[in-house]
Amino acid sequence: MLNAAIESENEALSPPKMTIRDVHVHYGDIHAVKGVTLDLRPDQVTALIGPSGCGKSTLLRCMNRMNDTIADCRVEGQVFLDGQDIYDSQIDVVQLRARVGMVFQKPNPFPKSIYDNVAYGPRIHGLATDRDALDEIVEASLEKAGLWQEVKDRLDQVGTALSGGQQQRLCIARAIAVNPEVILMDEPCSSLDPIATAKVEALIDELSARYAIVIVTHSMQQAARVSQKTVFFHLGEMIEYGDTTQMFTAPREDRTRDYITGRIG
Amino acid sequence: MTDNTRNILDQQVDWHSPKVRARLRRRHRTDFLFRAIGFSAVAAAGLFLVFLLGNIIKNGAPGFLQTSIEVDVAFDPSLLPDPTLERAEFAAAMARVDLQRLLRQSLLDHFPEVSGRADTIRLTRMLSSGARAQLRDILVRNPAVVGTTGKVWLLASDEVDQVVKGNVDISLPEQNRKLKNKELVWLQRFESEGRVSLSFHSRFITAGDSREPELVGVWGAIVGSGLTLLVTLLTAFPIGVASAIYLEEFAPKNRFTDIVEVNINNLAAVPSIVFGLLGLAFFLGVMGMARSAPIVGGLTLALLTLPTIIISARAAIAAVPPSIRDAARGLGASSMQVAFHHVVPLAMPGILTGTIIGMARALGESAPLLMIGMVAFIVDVPGGVNDPATVLPVQIFLWADSPERAFIEKTSAAIMVLLFFLIAMNGMAIWLRQRFERKW
Repeated sequence: MLNAAIESENEALSPPKMTIRDVHVHYGDIHAVKGVTLDLRPDQVTALIGPSGCGKSTLLRCMNRMNDTIADCRVEGQVFLDGQDIYDSQIDVVQLRARVGMVFQKPNPFPKSIYDNVAYGPRIHGLATDRDALDEIVEASLEKAGLWQEVKDRLDQVGTALSGGQQQRLCIARAIAVNPEVILMDEPCSSLDPIATAKVEALIDELSARYAIVIVTHSMQQAARVSQKTVFFHLGEMIEYGDTTQMFTAPREDRTRDYITGRIG
Repeated sequence: MTDNTRNILDQQVDWHSPKVRARLRRRHRTDFLFRAIGFSAVAAAGLFLVFLLGNIIKNGAPGFLQTSIEVDVAFDPSLLPDPTLERAEFAAAMARVDLQRLLRQSLLDHFPEVSGRADTIRLTRMLSSGARAQLRDILVRNPAVVGTTGKVWLLASDEVDQVVKGNVDISLPEQNRKLKNKELVWLQRFESEGRVSLSFHSRFITAGDSREPELVGVWGAIVGSGLTLLVTLLTAFPIGVASAIYLEEFAPKNRFTDIVEVNINNLAAVPSIVFGLLGLAFFLGVMGMARSAPIVGGLTLALLTLPTIIISARAAIAAVPPSIRDAARGLGASSMQVAFHHVVPLAMPGILTGTIIGMARALGESAPLLMIGMVAFIVDVPGGVNDPATVLPVQIFLWADSPERAFIEKTSAAIMVLLFFLIAMNGMAIWLRQRFERKW
């Protein structure tokens, strides 16, 4: 039923950026993600919601193969980026992660200068031909992340000295500096205060015009505010997928209703 | 939950009952007792340290001083080469001069009452055998003194030195003393004429080893230790850090790496002399390298330091928060780039601290070096890693083994030099840790 809904939608819209087909993830004996099928559109924010341990972060980490580094993690099924299977042996994981950027739960700027934080990605991927081009990338990324005005006079200051919200926006600037196509955000506001959260949410809204964004969140309100599509997970299963407004006003599944009204989770 | 347990929780606790107060008192008492025991343990450790250092400094400080005697030396032209000769020729001719005779004459001039072969020998033996070298240096530097008489401060023998420093009980019967009554009289005359001085002895820092306590110096051992540690550092540091990075960042976690890890930990606990045996069997036996050389000593100590460096480097690397690795990996950095751009620079202070502590341990090590022949008596300061050399702790061991009384203070003084280097290295480790420590 779910697949049919997705298929019918496919015909109406532009081709999806990322396609997830029947993905299962095992950590040793634990079956963390059980057969997820999902499409991500290039100009949409998709929110993954669900109680802790439901596999939403695990799924997120499948999309840029961050699970590769976990020793006993096994991924089955297929994840396509522009029609290409990212788990194919032909795919270079380094390039994949440049195309699918990631922002983490806890702001994790490098203990280097603000400039070097943003310039690191372009440097390792050789995106700037000279110093001027690099300066431009850094400025544009910080501008896009809404941080330029706050830090333009202290680019050589260490990134970890910024406030929590600024650090998270720095991490977003760092992710967009390599010009990704998809941005994965793993509870990006969970360690931020409400004001910083509002700033990051506004930023996500702006970025959604240009990037496919997937955001994992524990906050129903946040999912409702920033996303166009919402996916609800429970115990590793994808329960419901749909438009955010529909999901929060008229959920199709009982379990979804129970969760968003606070009865489970 | 049964009704019974619920009732227990509903009961009001009486915080003022004698039972509760007694319990509180007991708690305070054990608290106080534990603190008292802890404090006295620290105090006892401190006291032992103060006693140890105090003892070494008390014994060793005089080792940096040496007695000299001022002698009127007549540079008799009939015994010396022609001062108008070319400098090089003069120096060559000086090598054949019997300076002992010159010295004897000068001393006999000062003590006309001394006669007879035995007494003359006793008189000249009040000066160190190094006095001749001192005279030679003066003459070679300035041949113009030939034919003149000059006041020259010459090193006294170690026995005279010990009497001057008050280390010998001169009230003992004569046969129990090295310095007999006659010599004491001569010494008293020198002293009454103000010809005896006890002053800082730079030779102790700048010279190599010697059979004579008044001529020994630690420079040979310092250079030997320096060369040995250099070899140790150049081999153990890159190998150790590379192993640590590989094991932490790249190696799969399986049975094999578990075994490697257990063995590295075991290796750190192997007695050092065993590493000496390994060095003897492999570097000398199989590779046929030079005996007593810093290169062999350094390689042997590298085997000893390697586990320390690997363990501390692994700990430092593991302490780098995973979020930094995630951040770099999420940007598309390869494992190599994650390790070398982020993890290793952040772990460097910890790695360096561990390395310096390992080096400090290597500096203090003597047992493995005994096995590879670095215990030989070596007078010359080594000029390279293949020259025979000794190291500070072995030098201390050798001097502690020497029968002359004057070696007691030389031993302690050498320990002071060793401690100075150890404290300097540990100080450097602390400085590095504070200077480069980062907060997340």
